Amino acid sequence: MMSLMKPDIQMDESFYKVEEIRHLTGETFSLKLPKARFAFKAGQHISMGIVGGNQSREYSIYSGENDENLEVLIKEVENGYFTPRLRRLKVGSMVEVHGPFGKFGMEPELAAKGKFVFIASGTGIAPFRSIVHTYPEIDYRIIHGVRYSKEAYDRQEYAGDRYTLCTSRDKDGDYYGRLTGYLKTCKFAPETHFDLCGNSNMIFDALEILKEKGFDRDQIHCEVYF
Amino acid sequence: MITNDKKSVAFKTLGCRLNQYETDALVTDFSNAGYELVDYNASPDVVIINTCTVTNQSDTKSRSVISQTARKAKNAVVVVTGCMANNFKEKLESQENITFVVENSRKSSILSLIDAHFSGEIAHPDQLPQDVFRYEPVRKSLHTRSAVKIQDGCDNFCTFCIIPMVRGMAASRPVADVLESVRKTVENGFKELVITGVNIGRYEDGTVRFEELLAKILEVPGDFRVRISSLEPDGFGDDFVKLFDHPKLMPHLHLCLQSGSDKTLLRMRRMYDVAQFRKTVNKFRTVYPDFNFTTDIIVGFPGETDEEFQQTVDAIKEFNFSHIHTFKYSVRKGTRAERLENHLPEKVKTERSLKVRDLSVENMRRYLESFIGKTQEVLVEKIGQGTASGYGQHYIPVHFKLIGAQKNMIVKVKLTGLVGDDEDMFLSGEIVNNS
Ligand SMILES: Cc1cc2nc3c(=O)[nH]c(=O)nc-3n(C[C@H](O)[C@H](O)[C@H](O)COP(=O)(O)OP(=O)(O)OC[C@H]3O[C@@H](n4cnc5c(N)ncnc54)[C@H](O)[C@@H]3O)c2cc1C
Ligand code: SF4
Repeated sequence: MMSLMKPDIQMDESFYKVEEIRHLTGETFSLKLPKARFAFKAGQHISMGIVGGNQSREYSIYSGENDENLEVLIKEVENGYFTPRLRRLKVGSMVEVHGPFGKFGMEPELAAKGKFVFIASGTGIAPFRSIVHTYPEIDYRIIHGVRYSKEAYDRQEYAGDRYTLCTSRDKDGDYYGRLTGYLKTCKFAPETHFDLCGNSNMIFDALEILKEKGFDRDQIHCEVYF
Repeated sequence: MITNDKKSVAFKTLGCRLNQYETDALVTDFSNAGYELVDYNASPDVVIINTCTVTNQSDTKSRSVISQTARKAKNAVVVVTGCMANNFKEKLESQENITFVVENSRKSSILSLIDAHFSGEIAHPDQLPQDVFRYEPVRKSLHTRSAVKIQDGCDNFCTFCIIPMVRGMAASRPVADVLESVRKTVENGFKELVITGVNIGRYEDGTVRFEELLAKILEVPGDFRVRISSLEPDGFGDDFVKLFDHPKLMPHLHLCLQSGSDKTLLRMRRMYDVAQFRKTVNKFRTVYPDFNFTTDIIVGFPGETDEEFQQTVDAIKEFNFSHIHTFKYSVRKGTRAERLENHLPEKVKTERSLKVRDLSVENMRRYLESFIGKTQEVLVEKIGQGTASGYGQHYIPVHFKLIGAQKNMIVKVKLTGLVGDDEDMFLSGEIVNNS
């Protein structure tokens, strides 16, 4: 896709023009913004507002540290306040971005030698795509829990044996049921690092399972969305 | 009433220790510049109100202090600063009874603003430089204990907390600056320093993290002792525990648990669990059995079930916090918790809060009683009629007969009994040996 945005159109450090919108499902889309000078660590999030509005929300960065764009993955939440408004944005609309924030993410030294399992529900896959884009050589597995198989956002970007899709409402994933059900069946090497991202109920259940399997809480990092 | 040419200034401070420190530093700044420090009833030329916005109650209190003060000090230049000034900047700027609204990041330059105002310049607070660490070391005379600010801001975004929105992202004061401030504060005569910031465990200046900074502070020469204001339970290594062997570092931590339920902690976006907290507490108590832990607890957080609250009660009993700062959850506009489901009725929150308060008093009594018969080195803070009072190393309140003791002295007191049966209880004792 051709870039519609030249860096010199950026008005201010925190104002960005939407450059591209990718519709991934009926409810989920990504916003591509010009990356310009925005530096971040894979796994971090931004706070985003709509110019002229008075609210903002946090979004994990979906793109890699060296990708051409700054991208976020957004699911429109039924009866939500902000996401329906984000959904109405057009290419050329302005958003306000603050950040990057947060300690969740990947250190380069660890990425080079560690073994990782990324566990995500829904759009919680966002920071992991950023990590995989940034560190293509990383030794990882993704366990992604969604309701329908169409929510396997950008699945083709992950090597087939590294990505497991757990679907709770249709049988077209790799595992039919909640990701926590699948997690119970898994075996992991003792030195594995776990990164969990998504809603707090999933994270709570997954933590319990990992602790039961004998993993130390210090090996597990969490990013809670809601 | 001030009759000479000397300008006078009055301060009002709400909220946390960090705010108090920043006011103290401003007081030092103004008095160094020749201003007279007066009460706000004494028709001051300038009134500075350092506000807080951490809860709805703080907002109400800040608002009422602003209107009361502005009414009483009619002809004064009224400056409103602090976290509420960030959170409600435009609204406050439109109020006629306020002359200047100064954001936190520009607070340290209020003196320049006032000087410019009195010399007839048209000054606007937004022209002031932004620097959250440009504070003068606090001058002796204000308190017996001085804070030293090492850090500001936080980007943890706990779902209930407005602080990241009003104090901004985490920033650390350079090591050399911190050590210089420690040296000057000790030179100014302080015997006790409190290491302060918004989230000080996140301190990071190059390769120096919180533990290393603390070790460096303890090596500054001088006769002083060090406390840590309040810490997030981010997980501490053995080196941190060992630091408390140092005679200057006092055996007390205010470690914010917030809830004893792992589920609630996740909804709060607190990234530790109770087992990790337990590990930290046990690490300390294995080495220092009488180590004092105090904490913050939020009760009635959205979705908190009876079972989850019970887990908090169990944690309070297990960890024996000698004091609990209890917050009944209240909605802060603009925080994520505002949008969480299952907000609890006020009645439930009140019941839970009372229960935690009772437990806190019970724990306190047990903890204080365990010191009867022992001695503590008490920093004398108040002198009353025939008695003196202050806090011992473990941050326990002690009252004793005034025999040769003066304010800001450290005296050895043998603890003989417990007085009172509510949150204000204290240990009584006798001086055994002046040092
Ligand atoms: C650090 C962080 C990173 C985040 N990253 C992302 C991201 O990459 N992509 C993303 O879509 N969201 C992300 N979120 C959530 C996001 O900030 C908003 O909460 C979300 O977009 C809903 O906003 P809203 O105003 O429409 O709904 P709100 O009115 O804020 O929320 C209504 C309800 O919707 C539910 N909800 C919130 N987020 C989601 C979600 N993502 N999926 C399903 N239900 C939800 C909750 O139950 C919430 O109470 C993140 C949150 C945090 C704290
Ligand atoms: S750690 Fe959490 S509670 Fe403490 S200041 Fe930061 S966001 Fe607020």
